[in-house]
Amino acid sequence: MEDMAKIAFGLYTLIILGGSVLAVGAKSLVRAMVGLIATLLGVAGMYMLLNSPFMALMQILIYVGAISVLIFFAIMLTRADAGGEEAESAPLRQNLLSLLAVLSVGGILGWLVLTRPLATTGVPVEVSIEKLGLGLLGPYGLAFELISVVLLVSMAGAVLLAWERRNGK
Amino acid sequence: MNAIPAELLHIVIGLVAVAASVGLIGLVMVWVERKVAGHIQRRPGPFEVGPSGVLQPLCDALKLVGKQLFMPLGADPILFWLAPVLAFLPVLLLFLPLPVGDGLQALDVNLGLLLILAFSGLAVLSVLLAGWASNNKYGLLGAARGVAQSVAYEIPLLLSVLSVSFVAGSLNLATVVEGQGTWPWNWNIMTQPLAFLIYFVSAFGETNRAPFDLPEAESELTAGFHTEYSGMGFGLFFLAEYANMVVVCAVATALFLGGWHGPVLPGPVWFVLKVSSLMLLMVFARWTFPRVRFDQLLNINWKWLLPLAVANLLLTAFFVKLAQFA
Repeated sequence: MEDMAKIAFGLYTLIILGGSVLAVGAKSLVRAMVGLIATLLGVAGMYMLLNSPFMALMQILIYVGAISVLIFFAIMLTRADAGGEEAESAPLRQNLLSLLAVLSVGGILGWLVLTRPLATTGVPVEVSIEKLGLGLLGPYGLAFELISVVLLVSMAGAVLLAWERRNGK
Repeated sequence: MNAIPAELLHIVIGLVAVAASVGLIGLVMVWVERKVAGHIQRRPGPFEVGPSGVLQPLCDALKLVGKQLFMPLGADPILFWLAPVLAFLPVLLLFLPLPVGDGLQALDVNLGLLLILAFSGLAVLSVLLAGWASNNKYGLLGAARGVAQSVAYEIPLLLSVLSVSFVAGSLNLATVVEGQGTWPWNWNIMTQPLAFLIYFVSAFGETNRAPFDLPEAESELTAGFHTEYSGMGFGLFFLAEYANMVVVCAVATALFLGGWHGPVLPGPVWFVLKVSSLMLLMVFARWTFPRVRFDQLLNINWKWLLPLAVANLLLTAFFVKLAQFA
């Protein structure tokens, strides 16, 4: 079974990497979104491998089933076809800046993982939903509530951005 | 180590059985739908091929398989052909956690209900991709309607399912069925009638069945999101629609109608009987009610189903907690 898990890990890694390359590199926005969906599905597979099927199914239900669909709705409102303005490639400066952004996050995370490795168990332990729910409402209650504040901030930010665009016209 | 694991064998056998039955169910349902439509509209329906026209769908299927596959100019080739496959493949997965009889389940997982809900969300994506990739105005309009509709109807559906699993205390369909008794007054529909109503109405919206079939409304959008598909491209969408109907009705049976429980007859027979009668109800509804307007469709959902489902869930949670203290 261990070999199968390794094969599955390799497969999911390929899906995640391939999907994210497509998401970043594709000219058509819809194709980029298909790449994003592939990445999300690959991450769901990783959760499955970590023996947390609840997380995996939630990932599919929320990210693939709902959020991607909403992103698609937003894409429909843009001129995202091959000859449209969204298909043009970004200027070099923007590409360099985005590379810098990726490197800063990736670098910090990579440095953390390499220098402070966590003590891991050989076989992942499944946490039941009951335990998960009690944990979220008990000891991790504050973090759980803070997530909703983050969501609120992002929602307010979205409204603010849309507002400015409309005033500019 | 060389032996095939028993669980894998179990799933493979289940998948083969599911694939075979989905094909068969598709054929039977096409015949049933055409016959019902015919008799409701005071005409005989298909009657030439075989007794009462039972072999008609077989001929239709052969014709569909034999047809040429077209792709419109300017369509996105990869996404265009990905869409029908994406519509059909996840459906096979949805059948795995369904408890047909006591212990007769292809995949016995704790999160069976969640698995069904999660993977049925992929159907929306196929509608979107099909509509977008066709490079067709009607297709795009159908896809846009598909998004608004399925995002809306998924919420009351989830909430009504959740209230049943609150009572049962499990997301495993088999456990939910075991909690119900033999006779109709022991079924969950007696304690959760509102949830059943909400679930069934939302199910029409989720499976794009008339009167909620706006993504493919033929009188306004030709065929909506699958306008440009010929042959088996269309065939896969069609098959997926019927298979989705079966899944929705089977989940309703397991959650609300006692699953395999019933007097005298063996369990699987009862399960199939209940699922078939629910499906017949869906077919009747399609040929009885006119298609609603799109604003009406969204109003029904956001103004009625959603508040009712939330109220139902809160009440259920309250009584479940009360029962724990008592």
